[in-house]
This record gives sequence, structure tokens and C-alpha cells, in this order.
Amino acid sequence: MCGAASALSLQLSLHRKGGNESVPSAVGSACRLVKSNPREWFRVKMGEERMRIQSRNMAFAAALVAGTMLGTTASMAQMVDSKRLETADRDAKDWLMYHGSYKDYNYSGLGQINTSNVKNLEVAWMHFPGRTTRGMQSMPLAADGVVYYSGSYSRLFALDGATGKVLWTYFPELDDALIARQTHSPYNRGIAMGDGKIYVGTVDGRLIAVDMKTGKPVWDTKLINSQKLTVGFTGAPLFVRGKVIIGSQGGEWPVQGTIFAVDAATGKEIWSFSTTGGTEEARKTWGNDTWRVGGGGGWMPGTYDAETNTVWWGTANPSPLYDWSPNWQTDGARPGTNLYVTSVIALDPDTGKLKFYHQELPHDNWDFDSAIGELVMIDRGGKHYMVHPNKSGFIFVYDRANAKVENVWPLVHNYNFVKGIDPKTGELIGRRDFSAGPQSEPLCPAIAGGVSWNSGSYSPKTGLYYKIGNEWCITLEVVKTTPITEPQVQLNIGANFKMAPPPSGTIYGHLDARDPITGKLKWEVKFPQPPLASVLSTAGNLVFVPDARGILHAYNAETGTELWSHDDGIGHNGGIISYMAGNKQYIAVEAGFGGLVGDDYGSMFGEPWKSMPRDAGALIVYSLK
Amino acid sequence: MQASLLFIWVSIRKVEMARKIAFSLGTLVVSILLFAEPHVARAEQAGSSPAAQTANSSSAGAVDPTKNGEVLFATSCGWCHSNGGREAGRCPKLAGSTRSDDFIINRIKNGKEGRMPAFGQTFNDAQIQNILRYIRSLQP
Repeated sequence: MCGAASALSLQLSLHRKGGNESVPSAVGSACRLVKSNPREWFRVKMGEERMRIQSRNMAFAAALVAGTMLGTTASMAQMVDSKRLETADRDAKDWLMYHGSYKDYNYSGLGQINTSNVKNLEVAWMHFPGRTTRGMQSMPLAADGVVYYSGSYSRLFALDGATGKVLWTYFPELDDALIARQTHSPYNRGIAMGDGKIYVGTVDGRLIAVDMKTGKPVWDTKLINSQKLTVGFTGAPLFVRGKVIIGSQGGEWPVQGTIFAVDAATGKEIWSFSTTGGTEEARKTWGNDTWRVGGGGGWMPGTYDAETNTVWWGTANPSPLYDWSPNWQTDGARPGTNLYVTSVIALDPDTGKLKFYHQELPHDNWDFDSAIGELVMIDRGGKHYMVHPNKSGFIFVYDRANAKVENVWPLVHNYNFVKGIDPKTGELIGRRDFSAGPQSEPLCPAIAGGVSWNSGSYSPKTGLYYKIGNEWCITLEVVKTTPITEPQVQLNIGANFKMAPPPSGTIYGHLDARDPITGKLKWEVKFPQPPLASVLSTAGNLVFVPDARGILHAYNAETGTELWSHDDGIGHNGGIISYMAGNKQYIAVEAGFGGLVGDDYGSMFGEPWKSMPRDAGALIVYSLK
Repeated sequence: MQASLLFIWVSIRKVEMARKIAFSLGTLVVSILLFAEPHVARAEQAGSSPAAQTANSSSAGAVDPTKNGEVLFATSCGWCHSNGGREAGRCPKLAGSTRSDDFIINRIKNGKEGRMPAFGQTFNDAQIQNILRYIRSLQP
């Protein structure tokens, strides 16, 4: 038994990068000592306590020994700490944060399921969270064989990754009366994990931490007076070195959309950054002090560049969404470029101070948030890039050191909000601004976006970026409005509009496989209805696309050939991940429809969306036969 | 002048309606000062008064409540009710609606769980009446 314990610890220490090779021999001798002379074993242990690393290994070894003695098959879970999170891109068996790792690849390094055997993929288990108002819109996480995910109303679940057995649940009590008055309620788009806890935001303005093992609440911090400001949190938080960072809704409301950081241990707020009035420089870009009601926010998780200790975040659109004056520098609803909305910003995670930024769309007149997209860290040809999709369907490629524009390329074919964007400078060419009244020409892309918030995927194996583009427009009537802030903040859209087909013909979506830096297209698959769920690519050379009809597709990542599909029974509008549990690879996808964009599908496309439920959904998990 | 009387008139209306009287009064005045164009401020009136006459109104002393409803609609309703309520989209078509006035008022006040927010604590009765008037003015 001591030999087995020693061998087991050898296996595990080699698997962990930088594993200590003295551990296995320490385990072997410790085991023998305990068996023969427990008191002596204890004396040895005390003597070694001064050497911190050594004693930690002994604790690890003791756990291994105890585990082996008990004959337990429970995974030897080490706490998911900053070290594990910062190497998550090399930890294929887990999915430790929203986009998989800080590189935001939405990629799985697992290849057990691959192009040759994916035809044998079948449902392993399912879970129904219940109360699935607005469907399922979150991204599950997985650590050490346990799956964690959030449902509507920020309800939390921990499930055995191999069997689906429920390990614990936590349902926070929310302000139901407030939720009745909110537009986006009550869905939740995801969670973060770190230092032994799961973190989730709520639509009533709180950030909550629960113990990862038990689901018991640890702290519950109110960050936003949502009862007054109407906005709260729908997006997933981001764990960064002992802090939890989360961005508020903002965009459509006359508020100051804010990004918050709290202490992960205590929940105490450490810093906040206002995306509309964050600095003196920013306030100057909002005439008539309209930064106070500017909107903004950052409603999807940003990412963390550990090399430079920088948090990147995408900020949301300003309000009103459509300005009624073409002379926006000096006139209209919010004169000026409106910093830092519709921008990518880089913050110091310790202080929340702004390091640098790039405003993707100065004086955003079209609701094309920067908040929407993943921040993909790619190193190529000796350069360090940050690739970021803007809601307009233009993909921005930055120098990761300073957000200097390296390239900008369009993913979508139908756009007229600009004639183009200069790929060298990011400057908008031939921008389209409005006067109040009906617009003679539809605006493209539509308010639903050339891309929506469903994540794309980058495969380091193929070097390709897999991303859904949407081809649709809106007929638009701009209306001069007044921000309403009493007795409670209200939406300030500033327009009436209707989804419309693009000049190219009919509305459709397409999954593109492109070079992320140059934008060169390798292959594409068209969909009659734009898919609204995130995409997953894997080391098995597969790309998984959960579509809006309810079909989960698997494609060959190199060629785009469809290799497998399965009907999940309801449209997809959430996340998809892959993880290992008990030496088996699983694909977990959220099925359930009812988001804001999906709500238009009934009138645009008819059935099955006309009669598709908006309050149903399940987590569906696949594995090989 | 007219603007000052307008501020006073609008403020008094708000005092009659609002639950948090002093706070709402102060903030409303601030909001109007900061953000309202004279045209839009007049459009916020829910009824008629000689002081509220505008160059745009057709009847003496009255502000078009339907126009006020149209602005409110584009502020908070047009996001879901497509094309100003004229077409079905992610939300029902409102033009030519066969629903009763009571139904529509109730729906605006209380919303529908998971589908529409409740506006009863945001818009006062007069504003809701104006939104209703706007809806009824839409061609089916």
C-alpha cells in the first residue's frame, strides 16, 4: 500500500507543472513510518515544519496516504487558486473560468473526443435547474470532476461531472418586486471561481460568494442601488488574484455604468471604475455633464494579462442609444466622443486606475457595445495581440501592451453605420449619424449586433478563430427623448425600430473560421437563423456550435465538414464547455431560449420559435458510448 | 417667463403625484434644467394649462398628450415593441389592439413576469394615459 501511495504521488506530481520530485519518496517513507511508529512520525513532522514547502508536501502526502487508505475515488482537489487559474490554459481537464482561461480561447485541450469518434457521441446525463425564465444563458464551469453553473435568478448548482448527481444548490433570495420592474431580469450569464468559492452577481445589484464544497453563502455584498438605478449584474464576474471583478449593466439606462472589484475573502469593495465619468479627461468628452446619465457599464467578463498585471474590460454603449443630432461634437443628447463607453479599457487590478484604452466607436450612435466580446490573447510572430470583437461585427486587433490598433477587419458583410474602419488606426470612415425622425435607409447591422454576446473560440491547434456573424438590419426612427431618473431610472433608448433583412437579401448567420489577425476566411457554414450560443473548439479537431433551432453540431475544425449533430429539443442561448471526470471527456451545453435577441425569432422566422417556450431549459452533457 | 411658470406648473403636478415629494421635486427640477429641451419639457405635461402653450400645439393652451406618449414610448417601450408599436416583433403589435383600456393600463403598470417590466412605479397615471393615447392613435 505504501508502494502504491508512492507511485500515485509520483504520477500526480509529474502531471502538475513544476511538481516536486521528492514528494513520492517522502510519501513512501512517511507511510511506512506512520504504520510502524506513529509517535516517531509525528516528531519528524514537527521538525520539518520550519521548511514551509516541505511541510506543504507532507500535508499533500498525508492526504494522499489517507486517501489511499480510505480507498476513496474522490478527486484530489487542490484549491482553485490564482496559480491554477493563471495556468488554466494548460489544464485541459478543467474549465476554471468563463472563457476557459484568461486567454479567452473558449477552447478545450482534450482530444479524447475527436473527428474519428465524434459520431459516437451520446447524451450521458442532463440537469433541469427549474425556474428557467428567459432560458439558460450562462457558461458552466468544471473543476476536478465537478460541474458548477448558474441558472436564472442567480441560482447555483454543483453536480458530479460524471453522473450529474446534485452535490449542492444555492438559491439566493432576490428582490422580486424590483425584478418585476427590470427589463433584463432575471437571467444570469455565469459565475467565477477562485480561492475555494463560487461567485455570482445578481440583477438586484449584489455580488455573492458561496463555498465551493458546500454551497453555503460566505458573503453577500450589495454594490449597486438597483432599486433606484434599475441596473444590476447579469454578467459573470472575473477572479483576479484575490479579487472578484464584475461590471454592471448600464448602456440603455441613464446611469454611470461601473466596474467593481471586491476582496474575494471578505466581499468588501476595494475599488470601482465609472465607465462614463471615471476620469477628469473622460468627463470633458460629455457635453452638459451628460456623463452622469451616460449609460456604459461592462456586462460581460473581461480578462487578465498576468504578465503585465493588467485587467482588460470591454465597456458598453451610451444612452440614449441613438443621438438625434448629426453635429454630435457640440450638440445633441450627449455631445462629445463619450469616454470610456464602447471602448476596451486596461485597469490596474490593485487600484482600478486606468492604464490605457482604445475607444472602438467614438460617440457610439448605434448601440454597438465593446462589452459584448471576448478578449483573446494570441501570440504570433513575436508579437502579443489582443483580439476583440465589437458588437458592430468589426474585429479589433490590438497590441496587448498598449491597445494600439494593429488591424481591424469586418466579420459581417452587411454594415452601413460606417463605410469602413481604417485597419491601421481604427479611425471610423464615413460614419452614419442621424437627425430625429424616420431614417430613409435601414441601419446595418441591426441593434442585435453583427455579433452578439455569444463567445467565439480560438484553437491554438488550427490557429483559427471560430466566430458567429449575423446579417440583419433595422428600420429606424430616431426620437428625441429625456432621461427619466425619478422615481426610478428608466430605459432611454431614443428610437423606435424593427428588425429588417439586409440589402444582400434574407437574414442569416454564419460560423466563420478565420485567421484572427488578418481576418482571412478559411471556411464558413451558413445558418438560416443566426446561432446565439457560444462556440467551442477542441484539441480533438472539432468545433461545436449549438444553434438557435436546438441542434448541437460538431464540425471538423480544419474543413468545416459536419461530423455529428443532435437535437437538444429547444434553442440554445448559453455556453458550452468540455471537461474531464474520471478519465472520461464530457461536452456540457446549456439548452434553453428566451434572451432579448431570441425573442424576435418568432416574428422573423416563424416556427418553431413562435411556440418555443421561454421558460424551459436544461444542461445537457455528452460523452462517447 | 413661460419656462419659469412651466417649471412651477410641472413641479406642482409632480408634488401631487410623487410619493417622495421633496426628493422628486428637487431631482425633477434638476433633470429639466440639465437635460430637457424646452420642446421636450412641455411635452412632459399630462394635461392642459394656459401657461403651457407651445407654438406646436393646435388647440389653445393644450399640449398634445399623444406626442408626449410618443416620446415616452420611444424612451422605454420601443425597445421591444417594434416600429413604435406598429408591428409585432419580440413583443406584441399594439396598433389596432383589441385589448381594453383597462387591460393595457394594467399591463403597463404591472408588466408580465419574464416578458415585460412593470412601469407602475415609474410612470404616473397621466403619463400612462398618454402612452395609451399614443397606442390608440396608431394605424392598425
